[in-house]
Amino acid sequence: MDIQKQLLEAKNISKTFDNVVRALDAVTIEVRKNEILSVVGENGAGKSTLMKILVGVYPPDSGELYHIGQRIPFPRNPIEALRRGISIVYQERGVIPHLKVYQFLFLGLEEKFTRLGRLQLEKIIGIAKSVFDELGVRCDLGSYMYELPLSTQKMVEIAKAILSIRLAIGDSGAPDITPIIILDEPTAPLSIEERDELFQYLLNLKKNNSFIFVSHIIPEVMKFSDRIYVLRDGKLVAHHDLSVEKVSEEQLFREIVGRVSYYELYGGHEYGRAEAEGRPIILSVRNLTKKGYYQDITFDLREGECIGLFGPAGCGKSEIAKTLYGELLADSGKLIVDNKEISIKGEPHSRLRRGIGYFSGETGKELFLYWPIKKNVSIVNFEKIVRSPLKIVSVISFKAEKILAEKIVKKLRIKAPSVDTECYSLSGGSKQKVSVGKWLERSPKILILEDPTIGIDVGAREDIYEVLLEMKKNGISMILVSDDPKEYAILCDKIVLMRDGKIQKMYTNEEFKKVMEL
Amino acid sequence: MSGNLRRGAVTLPILTSAWRLIRGNPAIWAILGLLIIFSSIVPERFLSSGNLIAILKNFAVTSMLAVGPTFVILLGSIDVSYMGIWMFGGALVWLLYPYLGLASIFIYPIFGLLIGLFNGVLHVKAKIPSFILTLAMTAVLAFLTTYVRNISGVLTLTVPAYNFLRESPIPYLPSPFLLALPTIAISIFLMFFTKLGTYLCAIGSNEEGAKLAGINVEKYKVLAFMFSGFLVGLGSIAIFVHLGNQTRVDFDPSELVRGLAAIVLGGTPLAGGMGGPHRTLLGALVYVLIFNGLFLLPGVDPNHLKLYIGALLLGAVVIASKALKGALIA
Repeated sequence: MDIQKQLLEAKNISKTFDNVVRALDAVTIEVRKNEILSVVGENGAGKSTLMKILVGVYPPDSGELYHIGQRIPFPRNPIEALRRGISIVYQERGVIPHLKVYQFLFLGLEEKFTRLGRLQLEKIIGIAKSVFDELGVRCDLGSYMYELPLSTQKMVEIAKAILSIRLAIGDSGAPDITPIIILDEPTAPLSIEERDELFQYLLNLKKNNSFIFVSHIIPEVMKFSDRIYVLRDGKLVAHHDLSVEKVSEEQLFREIVGRVSYYELYGGHEYGRAEAEGRPIILSVRNLTKKGYYQDITFDLREGECIGLFGPAGCGKSEIAKTLYGELLADSGKLIVDNKEISIKGEPHSRLRRGIGYFSGETGKELFLYWPIKKNVSIVNFEKIVRSPLKIVSVISFKAEKILAEKIVKKLRIKAPSVDTECYSLSGGSKQKVSVGKWLERSPKILILEDPTIGIDVGAREDIYEVLLEMKKNGISMILVSDDPKEYAILCDKIVLMRDGKIQKMYTNEEFKKVMEL
Repeated sequence: MSGNLRRGAVTLPILTSAWRLIRGNPAIWAILGLLIIFSSIVPERFLSSGNLIAILKNFAVTSMLAVGPTFVILLGSIDVSYMGIWMFGGALVWLLYPYLGLASIFIYPIFGLLIGLFNGVLHVKAKIPSFILTLAMTAVLAFLTTYVRNISGVLTLTVPAYNFLRESPIPYLPSPFLLALPTIAISIFLMFFTKLGTYLCAIGSNEEGAKLAGINVEKYKVLAFMFSGFLVGLGSIAIFVHLGNQTRVDFDPSELVRGLAAIVLGGTPLAGGMGGPHRTLLGALVYVLIFNGLFLLPGVDPNHLKLYIGALLLGAVVIASKALKGALIA
């Protein structure tokens, strides 16, 4: 390896939390001069922990750190990391919207530009101007942060990171060091065009800086990185140098999620799929477009059929799901439910009236954690549990409420002392079961599933799949959005492959399994 | 042996449900404590039938101001227009009595409903913060009330024809208390026996989740303001009668605090999401007991009472927002 190019090396880093959870297991990574290095992996693979060790948020349990061949101690806090030329731009909560651009740029750095308690604004604005000119950030220094487009906000954050390093190094009088900027999922909130803009900016800055790019969006990682490290369950599972080898997206995908086949996972149990061909079409999506997110989406969903929208994160699949449920507005296109055209500008409650329900595995998003199970069930099922003795007012029958909740608890094998148990005390899997269970009795025509089994154990997963498949058999149609290819193989009859907001291809379940080597 | 077992099996559920009730409503402790303290220090004065009737009357007044706005506070918003509805609603009754006769008292709930609708639509559609909006509403209505009094050249806006309402058919139960009962019943019914209560709690505790569950959030927010106005209007009839068939014509900020005090003391956090009118009723009782008891204590200067109450409220708000966070879940 070319020692001249090597900038930073972290060797055999291990980290355990609470003596139980092994977050990192002897991971070695190396950062070279003037490169974009990507670190990819699923949630919980250890990416963030590794980055936090590099910037001094956590101390490692063991490991060594080398800077241009010289052993140095690990930074104990972010300030020490800055002096070594390492800074991080976090995914969110970095930007303070109501500060002006130059105020934000110098936030926390004002000390050096204060004389007798007065901020030397002329000096600050002068430096800000020269930094922005040098780095190619084009924006008005006097505008507020929230007025800037998201991509420019990120650029200002990156400029701030570089500036902080410079000021910190200037202090210690160390020789000129190439700054290393860690970008934690910088593109997550950006649209496709904004992402490209941000990457052009990064490529431009590469000649004076190095970047560590933490992400799980595969296409952009492939397009813009020089090298890629893949982390899985705290271990380094692959390293690709894109200047010497070629990697396919599918290969990277498999390395990230692991090679466990779903037959192994689910004991070779093959779930039955309903014959959907020939059944009536329940939902037609025609030329649905939202600028910057997805374009010209057209497909038909039949009764009792499940269609999966599959593709790398950022391909527009979750935006389509959100549009169908009325959380996000489309710009143009048509939605036809049950042969009736519905407005593309609906809200969740009007979609539910048309028979479109929504279920996400993100606990806390749609579950009321401090409520008993039965209340969480009744919230979409009031029609089932009210009695109208006087014909004018509907009165809740507590008995019916309890019976309904008990039925669902029993059916889904939710482990809880009673239906009065508050949901926060349940396990992650049981919470999700309550979440999906409330739709069992409501029986919408279409159920939108977004990451239905995220973060729960295999047993609970199987229970949820079983329930969903039974609902499907009873004629409920579904649309699935997930990160797990195995989930598509289990639930979906058809899989729509998406990329950059467009439909690429339509697979049947069998074709999909073959392509994904499941 | 078996008899013992059976008795145990019967008493245990009663005990557990009683315990749940107390655990879910810490204001019950305060009420029991206050009753014990005052009846042991000044038993003759505190437990006299005259004083107990006064407590019931004051309870009616306090709870009638607070029960309606509780529904809005469940949402995480706030509604302080109750002062305005109470004051100007009474002026309307006075103004319309010559035309409508005895039926003009029903102007109260109708007026409350309309003000609530106005508040709700403005809050939801124009996105005006509820506190400023409803405070401005109270200021305008209070001004209008004083204005009506001033131009009509009378001292009070009294309608003597309602004097028959002041006679209570039941001994020891004062008529303002009886007049408050329908409002209490309706609020409890709305909270526990219709989906409204559940939906409002849902919106207050997790608005995103409520939306995802298919609740029309905007509609229910407007409904909360409407019910708040309606219940305050209906309850104001009890206050109207209590004050001698007249309405208040000068604005007193301590009356404004009284309503909010009952809500917070009862354990409905201003952040919303939990609690309800049942707690506000308990809170109103706590407030009235403190006020009444302190007034009777020897050596307490009645002029300082408002100061003590203010300090107590401050303490209650701090405790309610911190220490009781876990205990106040229901």
